[in-house]
Amino acid sequence: MTTTTTRAAKKAVPESRYVPEDGLLLDVEDLHVEFHTADGIAKAINGVSFQLRQGETLAILGESGSGKSVTAQAIMGILDMPPAVIPEGKIRYCGQDLLTMDPEVRRKTRGPEISMIFQDALSSLNPVFPVGWQIAEMFRQHRELNKSDAMNEAVRLMERVQIPAARERVKAYPHQFSGGMRQRIMIAMAIALDPAVLIADEPTTALDVTVQAQIMALLEELQEERKMGLILITHDLGVVADVADRIAVMYAGRLVETADILPLYASPAHPYTRGLLESIPRLDQKGQTLAAIGGLPPNLMRIPQGCAFNPRCRMAQDICRQDRPELREIVSGRFSACHFAEEVIDA
Amino acid sequence: MGTYIIRRVLQMIPVLIGATFLIFVMVFALPGDPTDGKCGERPCSPAYIAEFKKEYNLNDNVFLRYAKYTGIWPTEQGGLLQGNLGKNYNGYKVVDDLKERYPTTAKLALVAIVFEVVIGIAAGVLTGVRKGGFLDNLVLVSTLVVISIPIFVIGALGQYFLGVKAGLFPVTVGSNPSFYELLLPGMVLGSLSIAYVSRLTRTNLVENLRADYVRTAIAKGLTRRRAVGVHALRNSLIPVVTFVGYDFGGLLGGAIVTERIFNIQGVGNYIYRGILNRDGMAVVGAVTVLVFVYLVVNLIVDLLYGVLDPRISHD
Ligand SMILES: Nc1ncnc2c1ncn2[C@@H]1O[C@H](COP(=O)(O)OP(=O)(O)O)[C@@H](O)[C@H]1O
Ligand code: SF4
Ligand SMILES: [Mg+2]
Repeated sequence: MTTTTTRAAKKAVPESRYVPEDGLLLDVEDLHVEFHTADGIAKAINGVSFQLRQGETLAILGESGSGKSVTAQAIMGILDMPPAVIPEGKIRYCGQDLLTMDPEVRRKTRGPEISMIFQDALSSLNPVFPVGWQIAEMFRQHRELNKSDAMNEAVRLMERVQIPAARERVKAYPHQFSGGMRQRIMIAMAIALDPAVLIADEPTTALDVTVQAQIMALLEELQEERKMGLILITHDLGVVADVADRIAVMYAGRLVETADILPLYASPAHPYTRGLLESIPRLDQKGQTLAAIGGLPPNLMRIPQGCAFNPRCRMAQDICRQDRPELREIVSGRFSACHFAEEVIDA
Repeated sequence: MGTYIIRRVLQMIPVLIGATFLIFVMVFALPGDPTDGKCGERPCSPAYIAEFKKEYNLNDNVFLRYAKYTGIWPTEQGGLLQGNLGKNYNGYKVVDDLKERYPTTAKLALVAIVFEVVIGIAAGVLTGVRKGGFLDNLVLVSTLVVISIPIFVIGALGQYFLGVKAGLFPVTVGSNPSFYELLLPGMVLGSLSIAYVSRLTRTNLVENLRADYVRTAIAKGLTRRRAVGVHALRNSLIPVVTFVGYDFGGLLGGAIVTERIFNIQGVGNYIYRGILNRDGMAVVGAVTVLVFVYLVVNLIVDLLYGVLDPRISHD
């Protein structure tokens, strides 16, 4: 019911000019992001490429600080520039490069085409406006609906994301909801205009385990219902394992391995991925250094020569300190950026 | 909410009693005789003085006088509790004096507040969205200058340059002044607070611009104008509105210096002359009303704060 009304509302405006070719929604190519700060240049993203198709769920996995959020924000176009600079790369949405697009045209893609939900729903929602108002704002601004129509849409969306007594609670403020309900409201807001791409940046990290599972189930359901391309960012493989189709593992602003979820689980093709799998995440050390890997991610102002992972890698050889391994196909559909990927995958 | 208001109103009573008692004691401790100069060149006759002292209970000790003034000690004309502010030493009712002067003071306060809000917030927003720019530095320097100059200097300078030299505004203000006459004094009176309001707006806006919900607003595809002007600004103005509200309460208490400089016949001037003439009744009466107004405005501002910030609850 929700979808039909949203679709009906969409009819009122000219059809979107964005048509995916062969289901290809997002095509990120050699993306670089730097932060120019007083202390120097932090190279947060150093050549990231990946694609996202309709109906596909891509998980981006990596430790805190590896550049997952910066990647997402670059796609959304919500990086603060300055300090952020994008010296190289393309982000194509349905064939059009978002980075060279007219800013006003690009703004209108946020919401109806690409949408995002954040880790901390409490701080990401405006504390002084009712939740319904904040959802309705999407319809007011993008669809020019009047107040009561927009509010009705908001109620419908709140019902869709299973907020109990939605009609009564539409005027409540964010702080009056539980963490899980707040994240549902964020989700309602993000899917309001039926976007083709949804980016969820650690959507469950702030929640307790049972609620995590409910939110993931909801995202999966919505993704199937709307055939969205979904990017799920996480530092916790356990959370996305059931939901994701493909996984991209990120380290120091580069993808070090991409693969379908099952083969990656069965036999990782990169020492870093293996380390992540071995370090079973425990609730009491969320966000801490992963025991099985040891050491810390590199300082982004002085990324080690060669393979960025080499100071922490038990398999590192001389070549790892000189040549940077590029992402290459090891077996069909499996890519790894390690000089010894074949040995890792067989181990 | 209801109980909160009742509690706050009850809290006002000791504050009012304490404040009026203090001012009462202080005013009557001032050296000098209230009958000085009452009878022209010559000293007043002993009979007149005796009558005067009896009329105003000046023979009683200060506690008894206070008790009679407040009406705790019953007198035939009644006291504060019966709504009687008494007579000043010229025999006029203090309440009539205040009725005549209060509108002028309120008008002046209103002009000052409008300046404060319009210019202060505009300057704060313009500098907040372009932190570190030319305008930001200009406003920073000028607010520092304004904050460091005493108000009588600003008043005198404004009066001389804008009033006398440029002739833009009247130099002094007649009784029952129009808003136009009060523009210059209002600007002078509000100048200090304009500086505070602009700093406060700027600081809060800069902080809120970094907030996650502003990032969300951008991610929702809103224009930057809306993300800043609606989402960030709405949050940034909460402390500003509170400051302005308290300030308004203070300004309603009259502005002695500004009213003196521009010869405005407001409550501030009334209190000033009351002190000069040792007219304790006038001073105590006026100050009592001002304290009361201040407390009421404060309560309203605190209630408003709860409306502006839904996270605050007055239960
Ligand atoms: N505004 C910024 N200024 C400077 N450095 C930043 C900024 N935002 C992010 N970074 C840096 O970029 C790196 C990647 O951050 P992020 O993408 O948030 O990591 P995560 O994978 O945990 O989401 C971090 O080292 C962080 O310090
Ligand atoms: S390239 Fe070398 S250092 Fe890098 S992950 Fe592979 S083995 Fe380890
Ligand atoms: Mg992150």
